[in-house]
Amino acid sequence: MSVLEGLRAQSAQLHEALRNTDAAYDQQIRQHVASLREAVSAKYLGDLARDESLLDHIDPTADSLLYLYILRAQIEIFQEESRQSLPAVLLPTGWLWPKIVSYLKSFNPVQSRYVGEEWRQVVELVAQIAQASSQPLLAARVIRDAMLRLDPSCTVLTSTHLVLVRLCLRARAYSCALPVLDKYVCHFPSSQPGAGAGFAPFLCASHDSSLSFVTEKSGLSAKLTYKDHLQYYLYGGMIYMALKQWTKAIHFLQIVISMPTTGSVSMIMVEAYKKWILANLLEKGKLPSTTNLMVTSHSRVYQSLAKPYVSLAQAFESGDLKRIEEEIEAARDVWRADHNLGLVSQVHCAYIKHMVERVKKTFAALTVDELLRQSPSMQVSNQVTESTIASLIMSGAVSATLVQPSDPTKSTMVRFTESRSSIRLVHEREVQLSLAREGQALRTLSKSLGDLDSQLGLSNEVIDSLKRSQAWTAVGEPRPGTSEDAGVDMDEDLMGEDA
Amino acid sequence: MDTLPDAFPSQGRSAAPFASASQSTSNQGFPAPTENTEPAPRIKVHDPPKFDLESYIANYVGRTRFNRLYLIGTTSTVLSTEALKLAIAEAKSGKDVGRYEKAVRALAEVAPTEPEATLDTAWVQKVQRQVQAQSERLEQELRGYKNNLIKESIRMGNEDIGNHYYETGDLVAASKAYTRMRDYCTTPNHIASMLFKLVNVSVERGDWLAVQSNVHRLRTAQSKPEDQQKNQPKVSAALGLAQMHSGAYLDAANSFLATDMSLSDTFNEVLTANDVAVYGGLCAMASMDRETLQRRVLDNGLFRNFLELEPQIRRAVAFFCNSKFRPCLDILESYRTDYLLDLHLQRHVSDLYHSIRTKAIKQYLVPFSRVTLASMATIFAPEVIGGEAQPTSVSSPFVQEIIQLIQKGVLEARLDLEKNVLVSNKSDLRTEVQEQALESLRAFNQEAHLRILRASVLQAGLEVRDAEAEKRMRKQQGPPGRASERLARGATRA
Repeated sequence: MSVLEGLRAQSAQLHEALRNTDAAYDQQIRQHVASLREAVSAKYLGDLARDESLLDHIDPTADSLLYLYILRAQIEIFQEESRQSLPAVLLPTGWLWPKIVSYLKSFNPVQSRYVGEEWRQVVELVAQIAQASSQPLLAARVIRDAMLRLDPSCTVLTSTHLVLVRLCLRARAYSCALPVLDKYVCHFPSSQPGAGAGFAPFLCASHDSSLSFVTEKSGLSAKLTYKDHLQYYLYGGMIYMALKQWTKAIHFLQIVISMPTTGSVSMIMVEAYKKWILANLLEKGKLPSTTNLMVTSHSRVYQSLAKPYVSLAQAFESGDLKRIEEEIEAARDVWRADHNLGLVSQVHCAYIKHMVERVKKTFAALTVDELLRQSPSMQVSNQVTESTIASLIMSGAVSATLVQPSDPTKSTMVRFTESRSSIRLVHEREVQLSLAREGQALRTLSKSLGDLDSQLGLSNEVIDSLKRSQAWTAVGEPRPGTSEDAGVDMDEDLMGEDA
Repeated sequence: MDTLPDAFPSQGRSAAPFASASQSTSNQGFPAPTENTEPAPRIKVHDPPKFDLESYIANYVGRTRFNRLYLIGTTSTVLSTEALKLAIAEAKSGKDVGRYEKAVRALAEVAPTEPEATLDTAWVQKVQRQVQAQSERLEQELRGYKNNLIKESIRMGNEDIGNHYYETGDLVAASKAYTRMRDYCTTPNHIASMLFKLVNVSVERGDWLAVQSNVHRLRTAQSKPEDQQKNQPKVSAALGLAQMHSGAYLDAANSFLATDMSLSDTFNEVLTANDVAVYGGLCAMASMDRETLQRRVLDNGLFRNFLELEPQIRRAVAFFCNSKFRPCLDILESYRTDYLLDLHLQRHVSDLYHSIRTKAIKQYLVPFSRVTLASMATIFAPEVIGGEAQPTSVSSPFVQEIIQLIQKGVLEARLDLEKNVLVSNKSDLRTEVQEQALESLRAFNQEAHLRILRASVLQAGLEVRDAEAEKRMRKQQGPPGRASERLARGATRA
């Protein structure tokens, strides 16, 4: 009991220390963490850990660290006792689950930077529990909020990101991941501390960039491999596709397919390429050229590995509905094997939509007969087309009205309307909002660019080249470019090169 | 040089004797003048033209007379016999056997009974012998001049050879001979006359690039100002012709409009002042807007003199400027036959007419926000009104034409087939700008993100690797993570 009291007192002191300088605060947190580690590892808590009400007496916000360590101790004890990783108490029906949730909902984000490893293990445990009990939705929202609480900017990719998108995909709770996905992730946990711009020496200080506390050493992220970031963007793209936010989906998939490689292409990239083709067809109705960041040999590899997709896209571009249907039918097994059947089944509808859009550019009103004649490849009956158009109008994809004449021998008239003027004000506000949003994104990006710049400036390569250039100037050999230039060159190289 | 797409093939003396050709039933062995360059069927004109053939051809001198007569003879069904007879007479007065044979063959097709339709073999052989002897003599002379190293003689020798080949129809050899003169020209006048000869040969060969480059040289040649002044009309006219043939109608119009009236009949071996008026007027109508037409064509004192020669063009331009499109198009339509029989205009008539018509339709729509198709059809397709039960149904050619224009993006309008009106598109500038701004911002953000991320990946060393390379790296770094971590990650991955 005395141990607990002591720790509590320390935690209370921590409150006081908040008003002190960063240095003192840093010092105290470190001490506190050290004594907590010792206490828990030596099993000082003993039977106390079994007390269900113990955590009720601790405030997860104020005594965040204490709460975390006791929580861990309790989890450990139950795990050891039941000799399984997920004993019943931990399941959402057990009594420990709400405690974990309440910690993740209200932990102290600054203090948690010191216990990244432990924090991450709790998050991963939550994910595991949710999966084991097949209730991924339970964990998804909790983890998302915890991530945003720890790092509101979310610009550094961690293993938690991947856990979250995977959970959301499992739970089919696609919009749940959006607050995190919509942030532009620009960095990876760095191996050097203090990499961010405006470097502050203490973890607890307020940092400009989350780069300075999400580092490899902090334990907030597990060690990442190339597969992790590829998967994150692939899953993110899938989530956007499920929400039919095609532009963002295309952007995410584009990131995956244009990732730098040391040679061969990953299968994840090929999967992304397949989805990228479909997303482009559905959104833009054509296959755009790939970015110049992509190596040509890669696009050749992609095209040979994703043949059915490429020929489907060609059929779509040639504007022949019959060919599209044949292509879809011919490669049905491929779609199923790639789990892209759902996307492919939308292609047909997308084609009709693009066809109607094209006709809309030429005509303000015309009969369904005439509409069919405008696209000779549509070999379907009047009624089918009419109902298709009706469903397009109802889904809001096309703004038009259908006028059925009293004379049944005549064909129905389709009249395209300009929907814009009527909801002018609403539209204006929407535009304003999205402009503000994009502007904010731009600011975030430019800040990230600055961070990256200083990070690159501290990298070994730049320092080596600096040394070399200094050596040259020392020898007296005329060398174009001062030491500063060398750093800039390096930066530009990395940004512009696609090798 | 002679492989240019629209070069007139110079038949020269390489043409096979006529006798063998007449035995083969058709003219397979002898491609028609335009056949090997234009696979399209030859244009045939059945209406009588407005001009009188005799007086028309009297305007021209030199080899273009034959070319024009031959073109009329092979194109117009009304004038074929008359024109071809004149062509044969023209050819017989010269020394070009190939042309003679060509004309006789053409006449034999349309009127085999005419006495001129049989080949005068005796004349052919005589002329061939003469030409042969003449060529040898001239080459001999030139060799003599070259031995003496007298520049002026060499220049004149080359010029004689060039003239000789030009007259006998060997255009490639002629232009080679003229080009050889270059090194021996001593005065600017010599250079100018050489360049003009090259221009003439190039025009006949249809080598418009060569025409342009020679015209350019003429312009930059350092001759006296008064000579420049004298040459200007010919230079402009030749340049305009070349530009028209390369399809640059606006440039051509500007060149023709800049032609001085002193051209009168100095350039008759290529074109006359009447031609300048017609070509210039049509090119201008096809390429300029109303204000420019008014200013540059009608109010142009220089060009007015030319327009006096062809009043119908002046009237057409005036009607166009006053937005009276029906009379304008009517005038043009009534002269279509004439222009189709013109050596240089023939290939461009349909293009020029089409763009004039398109411009007229576009111009017609400017003041309206919606126009009934019927009222448009009365102006642009009067033959449809009254001719068909439903003049403005979708299947009518006029509506099809409009649909095509919309699809090409020429007309900013849409068809309303229910009310049979053409509705012009209302552009909402504010919304457009907003959308563009948003779109470009989005595109920029995404691109920037892509590149920043890429740099980060490279910096963190997280590039995609081969599986083998990955394993090796892991071994170097030691076993990954702690046991608990492996367990946790393994479970989430499963």
